[in-house]
Amino acid sequence: MAESPDLTVDLGRGLRLRSPVLVASGTFGYGFDAPQVDRAALGAIVTKGTTLRPQEGNSPNRIAETPSGMLNAIGLQNPGVDHVARVYAPVWATWDVPVIVNVAGDSVDDYVAVISRLDGVAGIAGFELNISCPNVINGLQFGVEPGLASELTGAVRAVTRLPLWVKLTPNVTDIVAVARGVEAAGADALSAVNTYAGMAIDVRQRRPVLSRGNGGLSGPAIKPLALYAVWQIANEVRIPVIGIGGIRTPADALEFLLAGASAVQLGTVNYIRPQAAREVHEGIAVYLREQGLRDLRGLPIRSPSVLTHA
Amino acid sequence: MSTAVVPAVVVERSIPMAGAIELVVYDPPAAAAVKPGQFFQVAVSAPHTILRRPYSAAWSDPARGRLGFIFNVVGAGSAWLAVRHEGHDLDLLGPLGRGFDLESERPVICIAGGLGVAVFPGVVQALVARGREVTMLQGARTAAQLLPADRFAAVDVQVATDDGSQGHRGSVVELLTDFTSLDIFACGPTPMLQSLVKATRRMDIPLAAIQVALETPMGCGVGTCLGCAAPRREGGYLLTCQDGPCVRADRIDWDRMLDTFHG
Repeated sequence: MAESPDLTVDLGRGLRLRSPVLVASGTFGYGFDAPQVDRAALGAIVTKGTTLRPQEGNSPNRIAETPSGMLNAIGLQNPGVDHVARVYAPVWATWDVPVIVNVAGDSVDDYVAVISRLDGVAGIAGFELNISCPNVINGLQFGVEPGLASELTGAVRAVTRLPLWVKLTPNVTDIVAVARGVEAAGADALSAVNTYAGMAIDVRQRRPVLSRGNGGLSGPAIKPLALYAVWQIANEVRIPVIGIGGIRTPADALEFLLAGASAVQLGTVNYIRPQAAREVHEGIAVYLREQGLRDLRGLPIRSPSVLTHA
Repeated sequence: MSTAVVPAVVVERSIPMAGAIELVVYDPPAAAAVKPGQFFQVAVSAPHTILRRPYSAAWSDPARGRLGFIFNVVGAGSAWLAVRHEGHDLDLLGPLGRGFDLESERPVICIAGGLGVAVFPGVVQALVARGREVTMLQGARTAAQLLPADRFAAVDVQVATDDGSQGHRGSVVELLTDFTSLDIFACGPTPMLQSLVKATRRMDIPLAAIQVALETPMGCGVGTCLGCAAPRREGGYLLTCQDGPCVRADRIDWDRMLDTFHG
């Protein structure tokens, strides 16, 4: 019997995860709602997007199923950073899995305030910035403009020494430019990608299905799009990329790892198969054994140092 | 909350009333665990669908390890489920959510509109088993769409149909006449629930005496996707999957409640 392959992954700044399979923000709450899931099998939990103050979220309908995907416009319903720090973090401190807090806001000051409040609180292993939020000052999403994204990343970087990931929105002209900008501003890793902007219309009622009109598309429908984004980004940055987008199976996850991702996050599939992360982890281990690989490092099918962009 | 991904097998399929399917499923742990009003997230394998579908158990028989689901076809998922038959496996996640609060001595009126009746066979049975006096009020478009009264053995069943083909012609809510010190359990389309709330307000019935089984769009069923929001009376939202589906009517802002029922 061959030795078990090493599935640990180093995501920078000393954060070493036991598995490359994480659960994505917004699909696992704050880790408390899925008692049937073995948390210890997860690489990390990325929490629901957390804002400075509690948010009620959007009015219904908030979700809609579309072919091989789902749209959501939840509106960042969350209990606010204070509740997270006082009530949730002490419990996380007792768990055997790193918890990364996803942070959202509508101004640089908001993000800085949330992260300053959480930095150093026991139980919090790092942060993931949701930069798909509109900036209150100019209405643009932080994530669509490389300058804004870098400014935000730099401001947050200045107030925490914990691992800092930036979750990129794919709804941009040049995702690589944003990726380079936030890397230069001090991000430790990139999560790619967030949901794709989309909508659905109820033809009988003649109105958008989602109350807000548009929403974010996730699920298998976006997998090839997300994979291509990761492929592009991974070739252009030196920090780890965490692949996200419609991953359901070990083969899906392996596609992202082969494309250059160092780890993956499972999202929508958590709603359907709560044990998916464990299944994907085990499937990756089987694949490594079959391929005669001892760890994940040999997986990417090209490396930035070998291939230059066309 | 006890949750588990459990193997289940369809042992019977029938047509309990026009436009509806009933599947009887053998799943002893689920049959033993489910409480009246709780639901399961049922995996469907219809092409291009991804989400599970939430269905309240219609009834359960723990001694035989069986439970039933009554539903109609509203889309690709329910169409797939509707052609399951004896011997097919089902993937059920649950039981989930909160069922009806059965603890009281007062008589109960159960009031169902359309497919809302699907939750009541087990509810009525549980109430009768507790020795509570039960009246079942059932409304449908037409007589053929009524669940037969023998599904509510030993209780008084009154019916209303939109076309007058059986019972009272009009809304099932109009069958409510005697409101003194009783509980009301309700399930049906949002407009029906809203008219029930109005009727009870007129008659000085406290909203807290009404429990409703909510139906909203649902993603995960366990509280993580936050998709099944229902407007809360004091502002903000409840989650149908965690705070419900069965909630007291005074917790809901009925003016903001959307009509998303598929019955």
